[in-house]
Amino acid sequence: MPRFETLIEHYHDELFHYLWYMLRDSRLDAADVMQETWLRAWQAYDRLRRGSNVRAWLYRIATNCALTALGRHRREVPLADHMDLPATEGLPEETLEPAAALELALARIGELPPRQRAAVLLRYGREMRYRELAGIMKCSEESARANVSLGIRRLRQELRET
Amino acid sequence: MQARPEETRRSRARVLDWFARTAPLVEWMEMESPLGALYVARSQAGLCRLMFDVAEDRFRASLPGRARSQRNPDALREARDELDAYFSGRSMTFSLAVDLNEMTFFQRRVLQQAGAIPAGSLRTYGQLARQLGSPRASRAVGQALGRNPVPIIVPCHRVVGSDGRLTGYSGGRGIDSKRWLLRLEGALDEKVSRD
Repeated sequence: MPRFETLIEHYHDELFHYLWYMLRDSRLDAADVMQETWLRAWQAYDRLRRGSNVRAWLYRIATNCALTALGRHRREVPLADHMDLPATEGLPEETLEPAAALELALARIGELPPRQRAAVLLRYGREMRYRELAGIMKCSEESARANVSLGIRRLRQELRET
Repeated sequence: MQARPEETRRSRARVLDWFARTAPLVEWMEMESPLGALYVARSQAGLCRLMFDVAEDRFRASLPGRARSQRNPDALREARDELDAYFSGRSMTFSLAVDLNEMTFFQRRVLQQAGAIPAGSLRTYGQLARQLGSPRASRAVGQALGRNPVPIIVPCHRVVGSDGRLTGYSGGRGIDSKRWLLRLEGALDEKVSRD
């Protein structure tokens, strides 16, 4: 079982970069959400089991913290991404090259609703499999896939419109 | 996907600062010993780890999961002195407190019993089990001794099989290390007492 201080050593930076993009274009401070993430990880550390996917566990906590913070923030400052989403069933697999998808995502990530933002960043920025993504976002694999597809579709659309 | 380096550094420093204020401190040092590189660590409560003939990585990975570890030979000077005295045969007793807080109640009792066996003497797993009031628990006694976080200091090597054979030892090079320690203590010709 990895020791807590080695988790900070190994994962702080990549988690911070992820949160930084998650919270970009909001008025939230990624360092605050990062701190909250480690605090929650510390509280839950004893429940972590030997052999579990520690990296995915940390991303799950970070994603949770970011979505909660963004949700709170959105109640205070209404954002445009509150609009209804189209139906997510039967979406085709996204065919964009991963590198191109990431470039697109990083340029315009703030345009996406928070869950799509998380899904796209984890899929293309962290090369997570849909199964891991589903675990991190606490949803089905189909829903994770739909969030990625919708996110990329929306980013492309944004790009075309500018 | 990279945030600005100065923001990343600031966040890391803030997290490490929080961790230093939150996590219990464990200090450690390494020293040479006749059994190879020896590492020993202490918490606020007492000595909490001792490993020998291992790589530093393995030792550090064994430290308590929530602890903040810091190499600090000064904090372990007494442990070093007592271990040096032990290996040179000058003194076979240790006066430092040990931290067995990570162990279960039963394991702690087993290790406390083992701690009372004087140098130069041997006990069997069965004898220890009987002393603990659980005569059938020899195997559990063996397992508890195998989890001893501070071998040598808590002398689990003084416990042997019922026929006097040197069964299992988890420290260093296993049975060879156990034999080496018992020879140092002059215990190898000792007949297991029948008490």
